[in-house]
Amino acid sequence: MVSGLATAAAGMEAQQQLLNALSEDIANSSTTGYKSTRVGFTDLLYQAPGRGGAAGTQVGAGSRAEIIGRDFEQGALEMTGRPLDVALVTPGFIEVRGAGGAVALTRAGQLNVAADGTLETATGQRLEPPIRIPAGTDAEDIAIAADGTVSVEGRRLGQINLVEVSNPDGLQGDGEGDFLPTAASGPVTAARGARLQQGALEASNVEMATVMTQMSEAQQGYALAGKAVTTQDEVLAVANGLIR
Amino acid sequence: MDSGLYIAASGMLTEMVRQEQIANELANANTPGYKADRSTQAGFGELFLRNTRTNVPVGSLSMGVEIADTATELTPEAIHETGEALDFAIEGEGFFGVLTEGGVRYTRNGQFTANAEGLLTDAQGDPVIAANGGPVRLRADGTVSASDLGAFEITGAEKIGDSLFTGTAAGNASGQVRAGALEESAVDPARTMVQMISSFRALEADQKAIQTIDETLSESAGSIGEVH
Repeated sequence: MVSGLATAAAGMEAQQQLLNALSEDIANSSTTGYKSTRVGFTDLLYQAPGRGGAAGTQVGAGSRAEIIGRDFEQGALEMTGRPLDVALVTPGFIEVRGAGGAVALTRAGQLNVAADGTLETATGQRLEPPIRIPAGTDAEDIAIAADGTVSVEGRRLGQINLVEVSNPDGLQGDGEGDFLPTAASGPVTAARGARLQQGALEASNVEMATVMTQMSEAQQGYALAGKAVTTQDEVLAVANGLIR
Repeated sequence: MDSGLYIAASGMLTEMVRQEQIANELANANTPGYKADRSTQAGFGELFLRNTRTNVPVGSLSMGVEIADTATELTPEAIHETGEALDFAIEGEGFFGVLTEGGVRYTRNGQFTANAEGLLTDAQGDPVIAANGGPVRLRADGTVSASDLGAFEITGAEKIGDSLFTGTAAGNASGQVRAGALEESAVDPARTMVQMISSFRALEADQKAIQTIDETLSESAGSIGEVH
């Protein structure tokens, strides 16, 4: 016998997954370069109920939700005028190397000069390959071209590596707005045609109105599944009530 | 013994199965492309008992009930825009095809994603089948043209979970594929809640019947045989 309680509970859990993803989106609604999550719902296994149903009768086991990727739609550009702020205006990512040495991808181009003179992101990850700014350089003199070339007064210092993967949905978020390549994302390759805009940042692409609508849908779904749990409990109580 | 006991018990079992189906419906209130199940109950008549393991009929019991069949209602539901590049919906009849390990399966749930090869897949990673029968490749900007996706007509559609259906392909369907949109779940919360309540009351009534018959039997066994 399929347990109706488990079915209803699976429904609550699926809605909870959606609520968690939406909470992450809301929390990152002003995180530079953040991409909103996509949550996919599916139903679960169907099987014969045993007694009470003839052959051909099917009972489902609830639903499941999981993050199936991200919405990589371009976020709005915010002009900051700060020379070390860069925003990608095309698909693609800036390649960085995290503290642990692993390659990470980011669209948050709020760069700073680290203590050792190399450029790093706001989350403390060095650009890959590293770009060193000579000591005493006035930030206003740093020019970053659309292809990522960094120069000071005409002298080329290096190039910000703009990369892409074949399947951005397969990237794993690291919780700080950066993405880690996985087997599902495919290898990191140079992004042809990717362009940067100096003096701008890409805003989070979370749309509050959409998130709020989804949130109220998730809450209603949660309440419905919760009602099914209560009723399943009462059904079992009625069955138990046969023997007094 | 009183067969009424068994009739009422079959009623309880039927309502319990129905409750499980209702729980599944409510759990899928937000599953895109979910299709509602409609169960028909075998009314008054003879109920054939089957061996639950071998399914061999073992005899008949009159006036019992059971759920005779589950039919999935495939009527297209409303479509809402999501703006997500890899969300698809079929406007009208038809199914998307996906190539699973077990062969070609069909779905109305167009919440697709992609794999490392840049092919469009469903949430489980099964490649989506194009209108020309091949895989669907994402364009350089990560989108897919809605016209690349196939909408197939199938007969004998049956749910197998993971939003998939089995069935026999019967050519191209009349429905139009739309990108950036999803088909809503067919679960009508109000209607399903009403079904849940009425089924629950029927279950309680069956329980009362069993208790009453039980009391009658204990009267026969206890009081009638007593010598004063």
